[in-house]
Amino acid sequence: MSARTSMIGSRLLAERMPRRSFLKAAAVLGGAAMTGTLATGCRRQTAAPTKLVVLTHWGAQPQKDVLEPIFKKYQEENPRVQIEHQTVEFGELLNRITTGRLGGVAPDIYHFYNLWLPEFVASDLLQVPPDNVINEVRQGYSESTVKGVTYRDQIWGFPTEVNSYLLLSNRQLLQEAGVKEPPATWDELLEVAPKLTKKDASGKATQTGFAFSRGWDSGVVHPFTCLLWSNGGEYVAEDYSKVRFNEPPGVETLELELELIRSGGADLGFAGPGSSGAQDDFLAGRVGMVIMANWYGASLRAGLPGGIENVIVSPVPHSAKGTSTTLQYNWLWGVDKNSMNAKAAWEFLTWLNTPKDGGSSPMGDYLTTGLNAIPARLSDQEAHADLLGDAFVKPFVESLRSSRTEPIIPGAQEIKTSLQKQIEAAWFGEKSAQEALDTAAAEANRILAEKAKP
Amino acid sequence: MKQTEAERAGMALKSGAERALRAERAPGFGWWLRRRSAVGYAFVAPALAFLLVFAFLPFVFTIYVSLHEWNMLTPVTSMPFRGLENYRYLLLDDPLFRQTFANTVTFAVGNVALSTLLGLIVALVLNSRVRLRTFWRAIYFLPYVTSSVAIAIVWANIYNANYGLLNGILETLGLPPQRFLASVSQAMPSVIAVAVWHSVGYFMILFLAGLQNIPGELYDAAKVDGAGDWQRFRFITLPLLKPTMLFVVVVNTLISLQVFDLVFILTNGGPVNATNTLVLYMYRTAFEFTRMGRATAMAILLFLITFAITLVQLHLLRERR
Repeated sequence: MSARTSMIGSRLLAERMPRRSFLKAAAVLGGAAMTGTLATGCRRQTAAPTKLVVLTHWGAQPQKDVLEPIFKKYQEENPRVQIEHQTVEFGELLNRITTGRLGGVAPDIYHFYNLWLPEFVASDLLQVPPDNVINEVRQGYSESTVKGVTYRDQIWGFPTEVNSYLLLSNRQLLQEAGVKEPPATWDELLEVAPKLTKKDASGKATQTGFAFSRGWDSGVVHPFTCLLWSNGGEYVAEDYSKVRFNEPPGVETLELELELIRSGGADLGFAGPGSSGAQDDFLAGRVGMVIMANWYGASLRAGLPGGIENVIVSPVPHSAKGTSTTLQYNWLWGVDKNSMNAKAAWEFLTWLNTPKDGGSSPMGDYLTTGLNAIPARLSDQEAHADLLGDAFVKPFVESLRSSRTEPIIPGAQEIKTSLQKQIEAAWFGEKSAQEALDTAAAEANRILAEKAKP
Repeated sequence: MKQTEAERAGMALKSGAERALRAERAPGFGWWLRRRSAVGYAFVAPALAFLLVFAFLPFVFTIYVSLHEWNMLTPVTSMPFRGLENYRYLLLDDPLFRQTFANTVTFAVGNVALSTLLGLIVALVLNSRVRLRTFWRAIYFLPYVTSSVAIAIVWANIYNANYGLLNGILETLGLPPQRFLASVSQAMPSVIAVAVWHSVGYFMILFLAGLQNIPGELYDAAKVDGAGDWQRFRFITLPLLKPTMLFVVVVNTLISLQVFDLVFILTNGGPVNATNTLVLYMYRTAFEFTRMGRATAMAILLFLITFAITLVQLHLLRERR
């Protein structure tokens, strides 16, 4: 074929052609060349890979070292899919999502905090998952986790990590104070906390029995909500029409916290400011007890004197009229409503969250090994029972059976911040427990009413 | 009064010349623009375009958003119009806005007064013949070139109520320990102290420049006339430093009213909103509660407040002629 073509070429060159014939031949050849190029271009276009942009807050190198090989494996199995992993700090995640939407460069897949669901759903940001995903979530996850990714009776994506709160006690400090077991009830908490507090000659506390996290909304409100539920109280009405944390059980809960401060069992100097104050002090062995989430385990493993074995994890203390109840919150994968690659995005997420060979899902592998977190999927919890079975993590996993999900209500973040400020006002003696909670409730109900407007 | 021939001829000549000039200008404004200002406009065009795109249009858009409700997730074209509701809410119904405004003014007054006064005192001392003058100037200027985030982190530890350096010093002196950032009443003075420590070196440099512009002969003449130190300061230094003082006070006020990073890191606005400032509240409203309409209304109100305060300062401190 090529020999024949070159022969024709030689003849054309050798024999002198008339100008008109030459132009005709050139036009035909040019047209053929253009058609060929267009055809090749079209073939290339149809063969172009699908690019999925995935946004997470998992930007730390140890996390990427585990997660990105998983993405790579999917690309190897699906050569027509390319995954671009974009990461930002947790504090910037919501900004990145909003500005990305605004600038028209929204990712295809988001990993986000379930408290943002009301805002995302109201703004038409998320795509409703296909039926197979919804069925998978209903069958593979606990009831509280399913509730954690549901808003307005709709499941919005695959749950990923789940976090709950329990009482962490410093074993050594308990022993030094002659306390055998962490407190299980409010009365015991009030009795034990002052025993763990130490003061120097000038009256300055050098160690506190219990520490609150000041200046951080979740650090204030999540433990308060655990104690509230453990007192038989409610955070919000079932129909989300009004908050209920200012009812008598809520006031009693805040009174408990105030009594801890008044009795010297909790010193606010250890409480912040910012999200790391109380945690840093617990880590330094200056705090006897704190109510914290399981993700804190990674820091404790790295830095607590005496190691993670020096921590006793126990249920949140309850009142005489309640039972110990913990709060859980979730993260989930969702797909942008405007994604041009929605089908590919859900296929990828299904692969990522489906057990392989009857064992763990790739997501479960990442959450347990890369993030030291508890995977929400029940089969992942079973597959990683060894990793999730140590003395620190096991109580958190077990607590999920009876945990309640953080109320996903419109304006939840704003309500949480407002409640945090009012609880702190009571801690600092600016307001009584009732006044503080009534103020927060009035603000919260105003926000709920405002968000309920069309 | 009759006109002479010469006067009539003169007037005819003058009106003829005017007509000729008018004829020359006949092409009108466009010609004038081309002839007189085209080159000038070409020179300022890049700067004007920059201002238009990055200052004027965002300002107009901010006003526009402040009249709407917007969470940044919905398209700009579909945000509901709320009129002056955001302004009404902030001014009448939002106690936190009033509190953050009061906190901001407290911070600004404290910071401007102290850093201006201390900056002037340090400049006066370091303008005289002291030993290691350059060294001391560098030492005082050093905090200003240090990152405010780093400063806030270090000071948070210094102020720590239970194991901070400051309480250690107080204890050594036999004084009772203080709560500092963990106290509603002490948190704002503690933040102001850090801000003053951070900025006093910068204002010292500005005052030094002002002091070195005052001719030495004035002091010599005053000395000859028998003026003492206080009188020389009162009647020579202070009046001649007035332009510098005006600049320092206005700039310092503008910076203080927009304080964010120091408070954000040092106290996060707490405890109990005791150090929550307008810009911090604005940031939270915009990026944590995604209420852009309300946040932009705050920005406009802050602009108006800043503008009014600056006008008052300019009026009070300008040179009376």
